Amino acid sequence: MENSAEDYRIQSFDLDTQRLLKTALKDPSLVNLEKVSNIIVDQSLKDTVFSKEAGRICYTIVQAEAKQNNGNVFRRHLLNRLQQEFKEREEMRARSLQEWVCYVTFICNIFDYLKVNNMPMVALVHPVYDCLMRLAKPDALMNEDEVDCLVVQLHRIGEQLEKADSQRMNDLFFLLRDGFLLQESLTSMARLLLLEILEFRAGGWMLSSTAHKYYYSEIAD
Amino acid sequence: MSDWTKERRREDHSIEHEKSFGPSRWSHCRKRGVNGSLRSNSEADDIDKRRNGHADSSYKHPDRRHASFTTPESTGPVSRCGQQADWGSQVEDDEMRRDVHRDMQRYRRRILGAEFTQRERRASSGSSGSCDSREGDNMETDEAVLLRRQKQINYGKNTLAYDRYIKEVPKHMRQPGVHPKTPNKFRKYSRRSWDQQIKLWKVKLHAWDPPAEEGQDKTLDVVEELNLDDVMDIELDFPTITDSQNSQSSLPIHSLSVEDEDCGTPVKVQRTAEPNMS
Repeated sequence: MENSAEDYRIQSFDLDTQRLLKTALKDPSLVNLEKVSNIIVDQSLKDTVFSKEAGRICYTIVQAEAKQNNGNVFRRHLLNRLQQEFKEREEMRARSLQEWVCYVTFICNIFDYLKVNNMPMVALVHPVYDCLMRLAKPDALMNEDEVDCLVVQLHRIGEQLEKADSQRMNDLFFLLRDGFLLQESLTSMARLLLLEILEFRAGGWMLSSTAHKYYYSEIAD
Repeated sequence: MSDWTKERRREDHSIEHEKSFGPSRWSHCRKRGVNGSLRSNSEADDIDKRRNGHADSSYKHPDRRHASFTTPESTGPVSRCGQQADWGSQVEDDEMRRDVHRDMQRYRRRILGAEFTQRERRASSGSSGSCDSREGDNMETDEAVLLRRQKQINYGKNTLAYDRYIKEVPKHMRQPGVHPKTPNKFRKYSRRSWDQQIKLWKVKLHAWDPPAEEGQDKTLDVVEELNLDDVMDIELDFPTITDSQNSQSSLPIHSLSVEDEDCGTPVKVQRTAEPNMS
């Protein structure tokens, strides 16, 4: 079934790279996994669409490698590359908001997909929180792209994050509440997004049907 | 499998693998330095910074946690002895820890199940013998010990020899004494006893090493594994090695026999000395 291109959103790569990725998915021992991990990370930082779903292709390669020879070379390179970028995230944000938003999307995606014995990777919990806390700071709340990124990630992985560390989730939401109530420079869209996420969490990471109607009734199904 | 087990395989069998860390890779996680003194956090931190190529000024704590990180119960960042700085290793360690805990639960269930049937049988036969084989109560549960043992087992299992062995001999066909058996990490053993069992197990596994050209390296590996202080004459086909052994022939020569001739152990250790050495 040659639907891997659509499943993993790799159409944006050139054909040679697509072939490389497909080989990595089926037979990881045949490829340079460090190179593959760099290709994936690099693209995730450039392509907003890819960054949202790159976790899936990473998950499949990790599984394939583990099954084939019990290896985790790919995972190791991926994580360490993520860590490198994490260390320089402030510079990244100053250089390019889009890259920064892509990075946060990507690392949250990895957190969502790459589990260890069905549990999220403990090593990523704090870095993910650090990223979200950064997005909740006043200067970031002024940018709709950053607010949008923040609420999308919280929708996807908020519940898991809270389970991993509830205190930090409380801290994050202090910032969000403060921002919503006190920050004058917010756009009305930003305020709406924040209000929705506040209600979402208060409702146990879901919206009541009335709340859903309030926020989403005007969105086409 | 982590990188260092792969390195091990590479050393043994010259397979190309990515090697992302140098020999001091694990040194910064050790509590004590080479001279036995306790390492300070800052020392470990410096090594991290050096290795990672730059100093990150945004980090305020030795264990590289963001300053805002606290847990409800503690007043400051939690610093675990043996904590790795890089995410790849952290995740691997975490995974190994979880695997060990899962193994422990499975093992407990198995043992309790076996004990229950034992007790039933004894009760029905009317005997009142003392139950001295309560393995469930006498299990090794120390996480650090179990992790260390698991790593040693992983070294042995991450070899071509082991792969070939399990393909050749299914578990139910194994004959005790003849076929190597993985040491049971949940039994209580002294450190020396355990290390020796691992050594002997790995030596036995060498019988399934891939054949031919690797003969020379393989033999040296076995000699290193035996790690015997006593000097002995090893009968080999390689003149250079024999020469270096002969240069120590002024010392009394002991003999050791390695069992399992049937397994085709590549090295035979023989008594070659004269009874009297003057």
